[in-house]
Amino acid sequence: MSAEVSLAGVPLRAEGVTAGYGGDPVIRGISVDVQPGQVISLVGPNGSGKSTLLKSLVGVVRISSGTVSVGGRPVTNLPPEEVARAGVGYVPQVDDVFAPLTVKENLEMGGYLLPHKQVAERIERVLAVFPRLSGMLGRGAGKLSGGERKMLAMGRVLMLDPGVFLLDEPTANLAPIIATSLLEEHVRGLATSGASVLIVEQRAKAVLAISDRTYVLGGGEVRMEGTPAELSASPEFVDSFLGGGHGHHVRSTEG
Amino acid sequence: MSLFLASIGFGLVTASVLAIAAVGFTLQFGVTDVLNLAFGAVMIFSAFVAYLVNENGISVWIGLLIAMAAGSLLSVLLNTAVYTPFQRRGTSPITMVIVSLGMTLIIEFGVQALAGGTAVSYAMSNGPTYKAAGLTLTLVQVIIMVISVLVMLGVHGLLRYTKLGKAMRATAANRNLARNCGIRTGRVITLTWALTGALCGLAGTVFAMDAGSFDATATDIFLVLILAAVFLGGPGQPYGAMLGAVIIGVATEVSASLPFVQADYKYVFAFVALLVMLGVRPTGLLGERT
Amino acid sequence: MNTFYLINLVVYAAVDAMACLGLSQQFGVAGVTNFGFIIFQAAGGYAAAVLSLPADTANGGFQSYLGGWDLPFPLPWIGAAVVGGVIALPFTFLVGRRLRGDFAAVGLLVTAVLLNLIVTNYRPFLNGDAGLSLIPAPFSTNVFSVEPTGYQLAYMAGAVVLGAVVLWFVRRITESPYGRSLRAMRDNDQVADSLGKNLLSMRTVMLVVGGAIAGLSGGVLVTYITTWSPAAWGYAETVVLFAAVIIGGAGNHWGAVLGAVLVPVGFEEVTRFIPTSNNLPPNLIPSLEWVAIGLLIVVFLWARPQGILPERKRVIRVAGVGAAAAGQAGGGAVAAPVAGDGDQEGAAGGLAAEPAPVAAGVALGASAGDEVVLEARGVCRDYGGMRAVHEVSFSVRAGTLTGLIGPNGAGKSTLLAMLAGTLPVTAGAVVYRGQDVTGMPAFRRARLGLVRTFQLASEFKRLTVMENLISAVPVNRGDSFRGAVLGKRYWRADEAAAVARAEGILERFGLEQFASHYAGDLSGGQRRLVEIMRALMAEPGMLLLDEPMAGVHPNLARRIGRELVALCAEGMTILMVEHELAIMDEFCDPVVVMAEGAVLAEGTMEQLRARSEVVEAYLVG
Repeated sequence: MSAEVSLAGVPLRAEGVTAGYGGDPVIRGISVDVQPGQVISLVGPNGSGKSTLLKSLVGVVRISSGTVSVGGRPVTNLPPEEVARAGVGYVPQVDDVFAPLTVKENLEMGGYLLPHKQVAERIERVLAVFPRLSGMLGRGAGKLSGGERKMLAMGRVLMLDPGVFLLDEPTANLAPIIATSLLEEHVRGLATSGASVLIVEQRAKAVLAISDRTYVLGGGEVRMEGTPAELSASPEFVDSFLGGGHGHHVRSTEG
Repeated sequence: MSLFLASIGFGLVTASVLAIAAVGFTLQFGVTDVLNLAFGAVMIFSAFVAYLVNENGISVWIGLLIAMAAGSLLSVLLNTAVYTPFQRRGTSPITMVIVSLGMTLIIEFGVQALAGGTAVSYAMSNGPTYKAAGLTLTLVQVIIMVISVLVMLGVHGLLRYTKLGKAMRATAANRNLARNCGIRTGRVITLTWALTGALCGLAGTVFAMDAGSFDATATDIFLVLILAAVFLGGPGQPYGAMLGAVIIGVATEVSASLPFVQADYKYVFAFVALLVMLGVRPTGLLGERT
Repeated sequence: MNTFYLINLVVYAAVDAMACLGLSQQFGVAGVTNFGFIIFQAAGGYAAAVLSLPADTANGGFQSYLGGWDLPFPLPWIGAAVVGGVIALPFTFLVGRRLRGDFAAVGLLVTAVLLNLIVTNYRPFLNGDAGLSLIPAPFSTNVFSVEPTGYQLAYMAGAVVLGAVVLWFVRRITESPYGRSLRAMRDNDQVADSLGKNLLSMRTVMLVVGGAIAGLSGGVLVTYITTWSPAAWGYAETVVLFAAVIIGGAGNHWGAVLGAVLVPVGFEEVTRFIPTSNNLPPNLIPSLEWVAIGLLIVVFLWARPQGILPERKRVIRVAGVGAAAAGQAGGGAVAAPVAGDGDQEGAAGGLAAEPAPVAAGVALGASAGDEVVLEARGVCRDYGGMRAVHEVSFSVRAGTLTGLIGPNGAGKSTLLAMLAGTLPVTAGAVVYRGQDVTGMPAFRRARLGLVRTFQLASEFKRLTVMENLISAVPVNRGDSFRGAVLGKRYWRADEAAAVARAEGILERFGLEQFASHYAGDLSGGQRRLVEIMRALMAEPGMLLLDEPMAGVHPNLARRIGRELVALCAEGMTILMVEHELAIMDEFCDPVVVMAEGAVLAEGTMEQLRARSEVVEAYLVG
């Protein structure tokens, strides 16, 4: 992927972000730093606030305190369309494509902010990254398989060459083999091409393998953070997934 | 037989007027998520604007253009001043329908208060009559049909080939995702109201031309036809609305020509079609199966 | 102002009040939006006319087709109510569960427009647009001139008494356990369904009752004004009644009466004081009246959606300590002993000391051991071509707290919904206590004892905590239309038993001082508790819990866990979806693991941790 694209990554920095849906905050005081060329991952059990953090960064969920900046420019609580214009590409976990639109139209919507002339050329480039999509440009996005749909969702975001990618569980509902290749080829590839990537994943081991740094969330707070090597060596890390202080049963499966 | 053919001719004219209105209505609902029952009231408001222009000795065709602008303006106003504030509060769809009924009364009877309760007509010539393949149509009727076909082609082109049209479809499909693409959906929605409002104004004026004479409550029944066409094709589906308009328009007029049906019951077909669709398949003929 | 004028006013007010009460019952209490309401008043009017007109009057020959029965009072009024109720029946299909509420409302509105058009244009049946006239007033032969004042007064008294009877009747229904179920349906119909409420039946009854009341009001009106024609019942008249109910206060019957006096009657009167002038266009005043009604609707929905007289809170007096605190404002929400951050041991001790009785129905499953309570056999679910759940087979044994875990998108919630009947299966079978329940709707499964909770907040917001709990009681003689009509004496004992049980459960979970708070005002954790308590009130043989501890403070989660274990010890069987594995560790045995729509493994957490495929599902991509 790095061969086809070169992305001008910009740093994303979130400091002390507290956010929620009106009642008690779902995430409290979370700070995350993503630099160009890095894959930073967020892992943790369901309900730990990973998706809410991403949503607060892109302006979907309101931040009650804390700041977010992209390339040094503050984007805290800007509406989603303005965050997108600031160079942040966001792939939500569900409803990630325009189902009634064709694949090509989905990509065109991804390139909505581009001058008209550039759109065709960018579509070509996205197709070079996701060759699987080339044969199905006229097909309705709602009729794609899970893996194709996710590629389209990522391709749609890629249209704008964003400096920052926020990916919310891109491998959910994908077969393990497709999931691994998506992470290794495409997600890592984005960072290799120069972008800053922040990814939420449930498949902790797989995402650790492609991350530069990982944050473990629990109960709306950062419980642990470190490099993959540090975390893999930590029994608490495994416990945070399978609980109960029986980490030794699974440590053998680390990679 | 000739009566039957003539009724098909009437049916095609009705379908032409209906198609413009139904496409406007369904686009409005699909993109903005408001089931705007005041659509009929805005139609008749626009028709009266054209009448006002016409009364001052200006051609009704100029009036038609001004009526489109007026419909557009009123629709945008309706959205910004009323519907959007309610939606921002998280008002339930059923309450939105009640609000739109309230707006119907305000607009429709506001027009009646200003225009009086009597029926009026445009000062216009219906032009020469053409006969072809058993159909008899006046020039104005032919023009209405041509306008309708052009509008349908225009809507098709807009939705398929223009950036705005695609953004409208994207906003209808998934508003949040559209915003994540950098689309300023607030503007898209305002433009949708402007555009569908213009269609509404156009529909209102050609409806009034076709009807001959009209008063402030003339679109009450026509709204039933619009709803029938919209639900037949599936709410929010522009192509469905076109199909629904043709079916409802032609079926309405043809049923009126049948010997055992009284002319005044021609609406019953549309009514039954609407109820059946609501009861059996609310997503419409072209909609997704649930 | 003369007496006659005042009498007129009171009769109109009584008629409008009746209609508004019927509409308020449907819209404000049961959440059924009937935009075709005026049809039923019209039908009642025509029925009364047809029944009371003699065979030979100068009425356009319509008697040769129908009517001319010349029936004595009060048969025309009774007939009006009956016809209003009966013609409501066919509309049931529009307010069924499948159709979006706003679409159903459009269907009813369109019906009203069309029926008016048809009657206007069809002369043989009801004399078309000319309508019926010279309709005899009750006990009167004097059809050609104004009745004497004494008669007018008697009529007025009759109308007022009837209005009062209608008010009494709708209050009797609303303030009964059945009325509570109606309000529960209004707040969240899917949850009411899952608690065993028959939505279709309740909506049908509401349509018919509202239709009958509307019909009666039409009958009373028509025999007073002696004429009835399509011009009197245009679709917009329904909007006027809606305006009255919204302004007065939907869901409050006195509000409906107030609205009736303010809007339809008030408007008629106010315009009388506007000086007539020849300079004004002829239609100006009536038109402006309509504009004003439209404005009132929009302004009220914006500024005061609850109306002038909002729905009042139903505080149920309880004998225990909670009574003192009842009715307090929501400010104390954080102070609940359970919801607070108090230390765990203390909380546990409190529980042990106080083994309050829970559900009588729990004893059902007391035969612990290997008996299978619930079984899934090859259950599948497709979503638009994607298979969300694939041939899942497993069984839950009696008396166990079985856990169901798996990564996001594994299909856990979908499976739970299929077990409960909220979602139909694409293939496979669900067997509960040896009975195949695959084709059974959710409310019937709930009545068999298979009760679920929801992942998202599902409390009935405008019911108090106490009402939320007792709404779920399966056997309450007052929880049927018949029971509600028979009155409080008929259901008082059941209600008292339900309240007593609810108090026990509230104490057990430490929420007794919130009994009289609106459930919608509680904190997130407290609302989850309300939901669990409510499910227990349904006397389940088996509970299906969908992430009951999501968003709940860990201390509270543990306490809920201990309660669930205690329930199982008492004979309950529970299947619980949960993502917090620590909870599974502590409380659940066995645990079923799902991944990618299929069951991956089953066993204790200890056993599961030793199995590599489970670890893979969680850690490996």
